[in-house]
Amino acid sequence: MMPARSLVRMIAGNTLRSRRHFVLSAFGIVIGIATFVVFLASTEQVGAVLEKIFPVEQVQVVAPRASLLGKDISKKLDDAIVEKIRSRPEVDRANPTAVVPRMALAFPAFGHGSFEGNDLRFEVGGFADGINPDYVQDDDRTRELFKDWDGVKDDPRRQACVPPPPDPGEEVIQSPRAAPRNPQPGVYYNPCASPERYYCSEVDRTCHHRVPVVMSPTMIELYNGQFAKSHGLPVADVDFVRFVTARGGLGAMRFSVGLGLTTIAGSNAVTARKAHRIEAVLVGINTKAMPIGMTMPIQYIQRWNREFLGEEAATTYSSIIVRLKNRNRIAVFAQWLQDDLDLRLEDSLGEKFATALFVIRLVLVLISLVIIAISSINIAHNFFMQVTERRRELGLLRAVGATQSDVLLVVLGEAALIGLIGGLIGLAIGVALAAGIDWGSAHYLPRFPYKPSSWFHFKWWIVAGGLACSTGFSVLGGYLPARRASTMEPAQALTQN
Amino acid sequence: MVGSARVSEKSTPTPIVRLRDVTKSYGTGAARTPVLRGISFDVDRGEFVALVGQSGSGKSTLLNIIGGLDQPDSGEVEVLGVDTLRSTDTRRAGLRNQSIGFVFQAFNLLDHLTVLGNVILPASFARSAADADARGREALRRVGLSDLASRRPGELSGGQKQRVAIARALFNAPALLLCDEPTGNLDSETGKEVIDFFRELNAKDGVTLLIVTHERRVSSVARRVIAMRDGMLVETSDEALAAAHGGPA
Repeated sequence: MMPARSLVRMIAGNTLRSRRHFVLSAFGIVIGIATFVVFLASTEQVGAVLEKIFPVEQVQVVAPRASLLGKDISKKLDDAIVEKIRSRPEVDRANPTAVVPRMALAFPAFGHGSFEGNDLRFEVGGFADGINPDYVQDDDRTRELFKDWDGVKDDPRRQACVPPPPDPGEEVIQSPRAAPRNPQPGVYYNPCASPERYYCSEVDRTCHHRVPVVMSPTMIELYNGQFAKSHGLPVADVDFVRFVTARGGLGAMRFSVGLGLTTIAGSNAVTARKAHRIEAVLVGINTKAMPIGMTMPIQYIQRWNREFLGEEAATTYSSIIVRLKNRNRIAVFAQWLQDDLDLRLEDSLGEKFATALFVIRLVLVLISLVIIAISSINIAHNFFMQVTERRRELGLLRAVGATQSDVLLVVLGEAALIGLIGGLIGLAIGVALAAGIDWGSAHYLPRFPYKPSSWFHFKWWIVAGGLACSTGFSVLGGYLPARRASTMEPAQALTQN
Repeated sequence: MVGSARVSEKSTPTPIVRLRDVTKSYGTGAARTPVLRGISFDVDRGEFVALVGQSGSGKSTLLNIIGGLDQPDSGEVEVLGVDTLRSTDTRRAGLRNQSIGFVFQAFNLLDHLTVLGNVILPASFARSAADADARGREALRRVGLSDLASRRPGELSGGQKQRVAIARALFNAPALLLCDEPTGNLDSETGKEVIDFFRELNAKDGVTLLIVTHERRVSSVARRVIAMRDGMLVETSDEALAAAHGGPA
């Protein structure tokens, strides 16, 4: 076999001497690789964003619903189950919030608040749950505010107060404002020392910190996409809470909740206690909040469930969030849950998105592979022409000492080099295209939750895979022409025109 | 000198070319046309042999078989002690690279390479390409084209092209030079210069020459003439030669 240095020099010289051949052969590869890397990089980035919203390593354990004669006999998720799960080897025990139970508000509740001067009324029962506050502390605001304020001992602002008078026409009155500089006589104002954060409870007639609440970005999306439009309300910014509180203070995000009340006609929920009003405040938008509804520190939910429904409701979790060491352990963990605890993993939205994304990625990659495969056929066609045009040259190489393998390697090497250069050009075009799309996105697309600064993530394996594909398919396309070139009788090749 | 060193290295009592009952046909079935019909002869080291015959007599095919560029249907072909019929492609390629030089009627120069690049082309397939440039320039000096090393073949006359082809053939100091109508595309004056060069190469360097030609002036300088007709050897009388050349002696 010819020395590698000579081989490389000959391949480079032959490839670069015919621009027409190069352009004809490499064109398809360039387009194919550009689409290949752009598709992969975009789905990779979208996948990364989705994973941020729906962490794949994070699963939700639920009890399968079961009923007998209309009575719920589903398995109870309690602290014993939580401990069993925590002891599993699949669980990321190094993480203190690897196993986090959630508890749903199990009785009716009704909310009343205002946003930008608009009166809002909404159901809370069924749309609220509680979670360990340590799990939600992603930013300074939630770290400071998202906790069980009623559990704080010796809070100096827990002073006696006079609650607002009941409104005969309104079951849940709008949370009263703090007193202005010139208060109007006869108007009830929030009497607490820090009216931005505290309200006067009608139950014990003392000031309580408003119940801190976080909401999912999905809620903002739903609000902006559906609700705001249909109700003529203002569109909320991505930094919704920050935006509103910057203008109106934390009090701008306050709202009242009537525990034990509902607007749903025919509701026959049985509660052990008389309905009463509490106040809450939205302190942040957080991905760990329930997707549709609101999430608060679990201690509030436990207290209210105990108060309205009894001990059973206060010790039964609605689901348990579990963070596994890695996604490959999900199957083993799910099997253990089913076999040993008769529980299952909830079909999460994240998994569905991941599956959809996988299918989309597969389709896009297949499209680009088809383009590359067609370009491989194009390369084969061009190389067949080239080999025919260069018969004398190839015959001469044989005459001066090239073996069949040498000729095969020279032609395959030319195909590989065209593929590599075509791949590099395709990659450059792909990156440029991505930069253009990102520029357009930054300048013309409105901001929304999770909007990435770039829609593409060119990971090293995408780049390497693109180049390997371009080179591989080119070599594949060049193989048959190369074989023909190598098996040509040199004598005939030298004499034929 | 480029050629003499290798000849002395490879001196052996056996013929440099040995052919026995070599046959070759083209086509298949009813269209099968025999080109060579049982050719047998030897060429000794240092000989200057002209292979003459009319077009289609099979002389170029025979030359290609000797050079390992074509394979016979049957018979024995031994070149420099190598059985080219049974040896591997790699062995035959090595033989062509190291011990056999080819000169073609159509020059077969690569237009994208310089003159020097064409001359040192065989070095690309040699295990060691050391001093390739120096050896290429020496070969060019021998054919009188030292000044044209960096030119492209397209800038040369026919005679110059053929001399470049000869320099390429001599690059690896071959023991055997196979030439197929080397003066066929040259005017008479240039052709004469090429023939004189071959004669000198044979006489001074001892390079064995086997030239296919149908030109009388070429065969007249050979020490032995082998005539062919219809794929067979004919006697080497003046009449036979004249017939082989296609006219009276």
